[in-house]
Amino acid sequence: MKDICNQVAKREKIAPYVRYGLVFFAFVLIYGCSGKQNDKITFQWKDNKATGVFIPKHIIGNIRPDSLNLIEVSLVTGEKPVAILGNYNAENNAVLFQPLIPFTRGLHYDIRLKGEQIARFEIPPADPADAPDLSAIFPSQDTLPENLLKIYLHFSRPMREGQSGKYVVLVKNNTDTIRGAFLDLQPELWNENRTVLTLWLDPGRIKRDLQPNQTLGAPLQKNAAYQITISPEWQDETGGKLLKNYTRTFVTSERDSLSPKPSDWKITPPKAGTSQPFKVDFQEPLDHSLLTETLTILSENGVHIPGKWQIGPKEKTAAFTPTQPWNPGKFKLKIQPKLEDLAGNNLNRLFDRDISRKMSAPDPPKNSFEILFAVSE
Amino acid sequence: MKKMYFLLAVAGAGLALLATTTRFTHPKYGFTIGTPEIKSINSLAFGPDGVLFIGDSKSATVFAVDTKDAAATSQAAAIEIKNIDQKLAALLGTDAQNITIQDIAVNPLSKSVYCAVQGSDGTPVLFKIEGDKITAVSTKNIPFSSVALNDAPAEDAKDKRGNPVRVAAISDLGFADDKVLVSGLSGKEFNSVFRSIPFPFTNKQDQATLEIYHAAHGKYETLSPIRTFTTAEIAGKKYLVASYTCTPLVLFPLDELKPGTHVKGRTVAEMGSGNSPIDMVTMKKGGESFLMMANSSRPVFKVKYKSIETYQGSLTTPVEESFATAGVDFVSLPVTNVIQLDKLDDTRMVLLQRRSNGSLDLWTSSERYL
Repeated sequence: MKDICNQVAKREKIAPYVRYGLVFFAFVLIYGCSGKQNDKITFQWKDNKATGVFIPKHIIGNIRPDSLNLIEVSLVTGEKPVAILGNYNAENNAVLFQPLIPFTRGLHYDIRLKGEQIARFEIPPADPADAPDLSAIFPSQDTLPENLLKIYLHFSRPMREGQSGKYVVLVKNNTDTIRGAFLDLQPELWNENRTVLTLWLDPGRIKRDLQPNQTLGAPLQKNAAYQITISPEWQDETGGKLLKNYTRTFVTSERDSLSPKPSDWKITPPKAGTSQPFKVDFQEPLDHSLLTETLTILSENGVHIPGKWQIGPKEKTAAFTPTQPWNPGKFKLKIQPKLEDLAGNNLNRLFDRDISRKMSAPDPPKNSFEILFAVSE
Repeated sequence: MKKMYFLLAVAGAGLALLATTTRFTHPKYGFTIGTPEIKSINSLAFGPDGVLFIGDSKSATVFAVDTKDAAATSQAAAIEIKNIDQKLAALLGTDAQNITIQDIAVNPLSKSVYCAVQGSDGTPVLFKIEGDKITAVSTKNIPFSSVALNDAPAEDAKDKRGNPVRVAAISDLGFADDKVLVSGLSGKEFNSVFRSIPFPFTNKQDQATLEIYHAAHGKYETLSPIRTFTTAEIAGKKYLVASYTCTPLVLFPLDELKPGTHVKGRTVAEMGSGNSPIDMVTMKKGGESFLMMANSSRPVFKVKYKSIETYQGSLTTPVEESFATAGVDFVSLPVTNVIQLDKLDDTRMVLLQRRSNGSLDLWTSSERYL
């Protein structure tokens, strides 16, 4: 690390500042070189974000701890400087300023004392080597029902929120951009660490007979080819842009108006004494995110069997590998009814139900679904 | 040894005293003093005595914080700040494109505007706006309490299928009848979460989890997540007036929203396609009340509650296709691109609007809009 820091120090361009004239530049490039240095402006880094700046004493002079309010840090804009809100703390040989939100990469800032500019620094732009990647798009199958409800985007790094409307585009047959295909949600549906985004194809347009559906039609029509494109302009939380432009092509098939039916699933029980996976084939692709949390294996008397689930290709299968080898006996695959297919139909109810059609009464909702299987030698 | 007991006793007494002091801060609301771990601020709503409710989607938690901003003002001054995004960005040391204004809420007592801002890295910041003065609201060492939305609710609060729906995003927050009302979206299931949580928060999570259906033209019945809501009294009965991701306006009697129940609301209007409701408030002028609604791609709508009331009898029957145009009378105000809306007083609103010249302005509407 020391070597890296030395190299960085060599790359730092620091022009000494003389009051009333010259401008002070400091570039610190790599996380890990944070900390106070006696004569340079350095940054406090956290998760690749500059959360503070150490202003050395020789720049600001001997300032009393109760006079730190004489220092101001402001963005260089060409307009009247505005003091950035944050906290100033006297450290050993420097004053640490922490703004309310991290400094923005690529922007320049001035340090002022009693309103007079005494130094300037730049937060280095995001390193292209840290560029975020779009690691997966679900559903992964190439043929999708025309009433597809959700698309999940998986990123390699936490992304900036509120940008999907700008950067995700759906194009039909390589020509027509479908405006308003995705529901404009504020806040967007991110997982907690902002690496997985759920996009809904506008449910108002999918739901039959609602006004958006009547006037704009469904977002997807059957037997057409679609491309979903994700722009490389999309930035992650530190300002780094996506590695490249991403495109996925899929074609649409018939509407899916049936709930997934566990009784139709095909299972392959493992052999006792082995750690072979228990395999289940859903006979259709199911929702990737829900699959990861709705399946459990229980012993005959309801004891949870620890192990790991793996979702198979095209989300049509799943395999469960136990932590311990299988004992002979009877087991249960327990499925939470909230598991949905690609069109939002779950085990208990359809995404949209035509109540005017007198069909046979739907099965009463169940708390869970179970498939029994036996493990033998 | 005796000395030790004595010390322990003194320490105990001290702790008891401290605890009392803490409680003393707000004996009514069960607040403790500390620094709430707020990960995001998506929705704001005021409760009693300057208590601000903060909807945090990231941690699926609602925080109640004491703003200590509870001095009532009888004459609320109009607020007008041009390019507010640029002003907020400058205070945060960045460009306007790197911040997002998540919500605004007017403190009903002091009439200050509270504004939640998010930096591009996700850091939330709460601002208070008085006149043209913008200050950051510190959430360090303040009296607060919180309620987690994804804690396993009581048995009766689970939906019929026995599984609580996890909230991934709080879409709106409100306060009515000593209850915090929260609408949320699940990031995975297509489902609606609406909770009514008694305030002050208790350890007992007797919150209502509701699945709300709405019927379009009496033909198709589907679940639908609530986008924004307000509460109003229609013909002497309190209603939740909810607007959907799919169809705009649906009414639910508030007294029917009980834990574990499934309530069917009725659509009173669909307000146009390709549009999403953003914010709703209930306003009053000369004994009449109005629902004001900001939209993503439509102007601000004004609906007379009287018009809705006239149809009180038919709210339980399927909505006719031409209902919206034939029945409830809507007025489109000459105000477009309103991103946030709250009421300053009975007759005036505070609006955050993207003007046609691109400027994002915070301004106060006059009585003439009602």
